[in-house]
Amino acid sequence: MRKRFRRTREFIGRHPRAASLSAVAIVLAFLWATPASWQTSTLRLAVPIALAAIGGIFAEKSGVINIGIEGLLIVSAFSSIIAVYWLGDGGATMGVSNLWWGLLVGILVSVLFALIFAIVCIEFKADQIIAGLAIWLISLGLAPFASRIVFGSPNTASVARFGSVTVPGLSEIPIVGYLLFDTEPQVYLMLAGTLAGWYLLSRTTFGRWVVASGENPKALDTAGVDVRKVRYAAVLLSGVFAGLGGAGFALGTLGTFAGGGDTAINGRGFIAIATYLLANYHPVGAVLSSFLFAGLNSLQTALQSAGYAIPTELIRTIPHMSVIVVLVLVGRTRLPDAAGDHYESGED
Amino acid sequence: MERIAISVAALFAAVLVGGAFVFVSGGVASCRSGLDIAGVTFCYNPMQVFYELFLGALGNPLQGGWSPTNLSLAKTLQQTTLLIFAGLSVAVAFRAGLLNIGTQGQLVIGGFVTAITVVFAESIVPGGLVGMLVLIPLGVLAGAIGGGLYGAIPGALKAYADANEVITTIMLNFVAVGITSTLLSWQFQDNNSTTAQTAPVPEYAEVPTIPYIGFDERVDFSLLALGFAVVLMLGIAWLFSRTSFGYELRTSGIQPAAAAYGGVDEKRMTVATMSLSGALGGVAGAFWVLMVHGRWLKNVPSIGFDGIAVSVLAGSNPLGVGASAFLFGMLDSGKSAIGSATNVPPDLVGILSGLIILFVAMPEFFRMIGTRYVDVRSPKPARADGGSVPDDNNKVADESGGEDDA
Repeated sequence: MRKRFRRTREFIGRHPRAASLSAVAIVLAFLWATPASWQTSTLRLAVPIALAAIGGIFAEKSGVINIGIEGLLIVSAFSSIIAVYWLGDGGATMGVSNLWWGLLVGILVSVLFALIFAIVCIEFKADQIIAGLAIWLISLGLAPFASRIVFGSPNTASVARFGSVTVPGLSEIPIVGYLLFDTEPQVYLMLAGTLAGWYLLSRTTFGRWVVASGENPKALDTAGVDVRKVRYAAVLLSGVFAGLGGAGFALGTLGTFAGGGDTAINGRGFIAIATYLLANYHPVGAVLSSFLFAGLNSLQTALQSAGYAIPTELIRTIPHMSVIVVLVLVGRTRLPDAAGDHYESGED
Repeated sequence: MERIAISVAALFAAVLVGGAFVFVSGGVASCRSGLDIAGVTFCYNPMQVFYELFLGALGNPLQGGWSPTNLSLAKTLQQTTLLIFAGLSVAVAFRAGLLNIGTQGQLVIGGFVTAITVVFAESIVPGGLVGMLVLIPLGVLAGAIGGGLYGAIPGALKAYADANEVITTIMLNFVAVGITSTLLSWQFQDNNSTTAQTAPVPEYAEVPTIPYIGFDERVDFSLLALGFAVVLMLGIAWLFSRTSFGYELRTSGIQPAAAAYGGVDEKRMTVATMSLSGALGGVAGAFWVLMVHGRWLKNVPSIGFDGIAVSVLAGSNPLGVGASAFLFGMLDSGKSAIGSATNVPPDLVGILSGLIILFVAMPEFFRMIGTRYVDVRSPKPARADGGSVPDDNNKVADESGGEDDA
């Protein structure tokens, strides 16, 4: 199985133009053959997974495995809802809709948690996996705690959601127009975030620093770049992306946040991790593979609403099962060499 | 020694940060009376919260009329029993270098298998004492097998397909809920009830209490079960320190290359460890069914996740798991005390256990404080830092409480 993957990669490496053309052809055929409602709901459900995955790529590439990304999604989602509720549902503050302020608050809270995680991992040399789990567990407790204080129940009140924004002209493009240019702000943000993430990681000096800090921190240190600062920046960036994903998902798709049990995020942060492992840390690949999981998710919703007599509880776990299948097929992707290790600069 | 000191210090740090957090969140909550500072009313008194949390869990021993068999303490010990199993499950895997986050799923599956096995076997086995002696071991065994097989899955995936066990076990937790609820609604739902649950196991198949040591009847707690948990704990400690399997398991955790060189079959070791870990999770589920509810309910509490906290705090030491399980048992039981005596949402306990894990994960933090304030050569460097924690922690506390102001 793995051998076949390698051959595919070699083929793509040798014939990049043919490979990308056939990819576009497959995507177009797929879009033509599937119902539009399923496509739009897939795009929406992909928002938290795709953005969290891009964030996770930055953290892990820099050498800090951020398994707490699920927690970041949770805190950003519920804090954005609470912020909108406090500012006034449906209103505007300083001329800007409260939903956008909610989005901002969600991102800030997520960055705050990412900062705590970064301090714990980089400053105090914590075990990254355990610290990440702790961030997740704290968020699992925090969501219903905060919600009970504000709303008196583990579920938040409902707030208005983002409406669709249509780009005139572009939305008339056949096949992809209605999908990419007549949709909600969070989807635009996801698409923009993907491009930004890809550009930042593969086309800028900072991106090269991030990769070097994960692969060979000593070399980066020798070149005169502060490894700690690069790692801080990368983890905070993962907070920005996850916050965008969590808050965008809450304000664009959910409109409310259920804090009980696994919360409304329901493991999407962990799915995001599987997503970028599947894409071998490529931001665009991660977004494409997030469509796989989101597509399964929306397929499940579609089957349920179509009234097929299928056990809903089992269907609901299809994305989770497919994560396991994906991990088995892909096997261990090559982690960055220094991922999970603490780096100590020789000088003081 | 340093491990214990770090665990104790982490506990204090978590309580301090948690207390600061409770205080700050009290500024957001609405209430009739509270502490007024600069126009903001702080509703919650952290001291009172922790008083209720810890002493309430013991049944308020400082007040008059306390007896060791009171309701709260029985509840604490009930949770302790379950958490010992769950904590051992996580600890066994951790010691072998495997992060089994799937104890929750293994517990759900194990408990379910226990319930349906006992309900099925009820029709074959005679009732009374014989039934008790057959059904309880059978139920526990069934739970262990169910949980063990479910734990073997991520083990095998890790060993033979190189799939990261952290992600697969977390995913299998979701899948476990899906499988069991589907089976429940398909075949095993108790028809006399609207709650999602299986038919009850017969009364004689519930873990019996010892006569004359009367813990409060309203709580389903059996000293026999706690005794079994302690025996199992000693058994695991013995397994680690006195058997070749335990030695190989620990070596695989510390230095996999050395273990492989010493002739350990790495793949089989992984599967065996995860099976053992899953079996312990299954036993936790079995006792949850046979001791606490007498049936399997769809709404399974997060004992498996608490097991992670128990094991992390105990440094994955089986004997430490006992003490750590008692502490988290207190937190679980104190949850209801906070709920009734204060207005603070009981979900606080979840945040606290997360904080404890976070602090235990950063021993360097306490070592830094320890070396700053204590002579490095002193035999107990970190123990003395209990008092110095607040300075550095307030910073973190303000940050974590910050989202309320945002």
